[in-house]
Amino acid sequence: MLFSKLPRTDEFEKVALPHLNELYRTAARLLGDGTKAEDVVQETYLHAWKSFARFEPGTNCRAWLFKILVNTIHHHRRNWFNLRRVQESEEILEKTAACAAPVPLRMAQEEILRALSRLPSDYRTAVLLADVEEFSYKEIAGLLGVPIGTVMSRLSRGRKLLREQLSELARSYGIGPAGREGSA
Amino acid sequence: MNTGPHAKNDGDATCEQMRAHLDAYLSRELPDATSQEVQRHLEICSRCTADLETRASIRAQLQAAVRAATVPGGLEAKIRRAVRGRVSRPRTGLWAVAAAAAVILCVILIGVLRVQSNPEEAILRKTSGRLAAVLKVGLRDHLECAVFRKYSKQPVDASQMAADLGPAFADLAPLIQAKLPHNFRVIQGHRCKAGGRQYTHLIMSGGGKTVSLILTRKEAGESLSGGIHQAGVDRFQVVGFESHDYLAYVISDMDAGQTLQLEADLAPTVREYLAGHAG
Repeated sequence: MLFSKLPRTDEFEKVALPHLNELYRTAARLLGDGTKAEDVVQETYLHAWKSFARFEPGTNCRAWLFKILVNTIHHHRRNWFNLRRVQESEEILEKTAACAAPVPLRMAQEEILRALSRLPSDYRTAVLLADVEEFSYKEIAGLLGVPIGTVMSRLSRGRKLLREQLSELARSYGIGPAGREGSA
Repeated sequence: MNTGPHAKNDGDATCEQMRAHLDAYLSRELPDATSQEVQRHLEICSRCTADLETRASIRAQLQAAVRAATVPGGLEAKIRRAVRGRVSRPRTGLWAVAAAAAVILCVILIGVLRVQSNPEEAILRKTSGRLAAVLKVGLRDHLECAVFRKYSKQPVDASQMAADLGPAFADLAPLIQAKLPHNFRVIQGHRCKAGGRQYTHLIMSGGGKTVSLILTRKEAGESLSGGIHQAGVDRFQVVGFESHDYLAYVISDMDAGQTLQLEADLAPTVREYLAGHAG
């Protein structure tokens, strides 16, 4: 009984490996470090493989893998890696990015990634899952294990902080409101 | 041309309300009725339409930036190997379970023995990564010197401490003492070695807690990128900061907030002191 449903590596690889790219890029942005992201993604696949017997074919494999990824990262953070740049704590961020201004329509990718990396990690996770990986709010609540209201408030604050940081950046470049008025 | 509904008195309030929905609108997460309401408003309000475009543009750029990352070559192969390496599964029932249980028991026993034989290593093993490696430099000394090595809990007198610290750091202890909360005392100050590396180490005690201030000269490539970093490992909190030539750590068995507060109390004095030691 115990071994009656042996999962197949071929089948596992076929359903799970196509998501490697998405898992890796999310891990890289959540951890801010490519090497750590590699380790965590590999660990995610090993966890997934170990519990593949319990995975029901036809259900959302991508959400299942992301849930394992989020848990793996969370576990790492709790056990040791609660590394954080103190200057970038949420409180200080909120203080320095208090007022909104127009955002230039085109910005360098590194600037955007830098702004993203400065979001508190709960907000960053929500924004990545919703706005980049395009999970529904309900799916995000499921894979983070939090109520949907929490997802919505993290998203709202995360998106606002990101906008504010990017407009701060725009100001520092001297890109003002004038840059966006011409289209009327 | 860009007027829209703003001639109306309630225009701004409506816009405010609508803008709160714009991101959810983009994500198609609004209930139908609200979504239609937003849609109708957008048709007549150029300002909110521009706002929506900005949000959509940020989202598109964010997607492009994040999705530009490419998976490192070899990761997929590594995962395939790792998964296939775990394929050898038992073919029959009970005896295999028993054998597996025996193996697990052995592993647990070996694990326990290892932890007992070298508790520092057990804690240090939990750390990895580049930044962690730098924080670990300080943690190692704290563990070896302040936690697992026997040292006298009796405060050492000031002149002894000055002698133990050596000429370069002889006057450090009183400066640090002056910045400590009133119930804390510097009880030890000395030079020590851990993992072949030289440290300057103050041990402070108060309220049943032990705190280390640890300084060590940077080695090639070591940096905390100018920031203050904090990590919790096992029951210890490590806060690391740096000067031009030195790495500095406040390590304690207090909670994260208290450790960070103590670091904030000490760091300016330490930085200033180290600046005087440049070279």
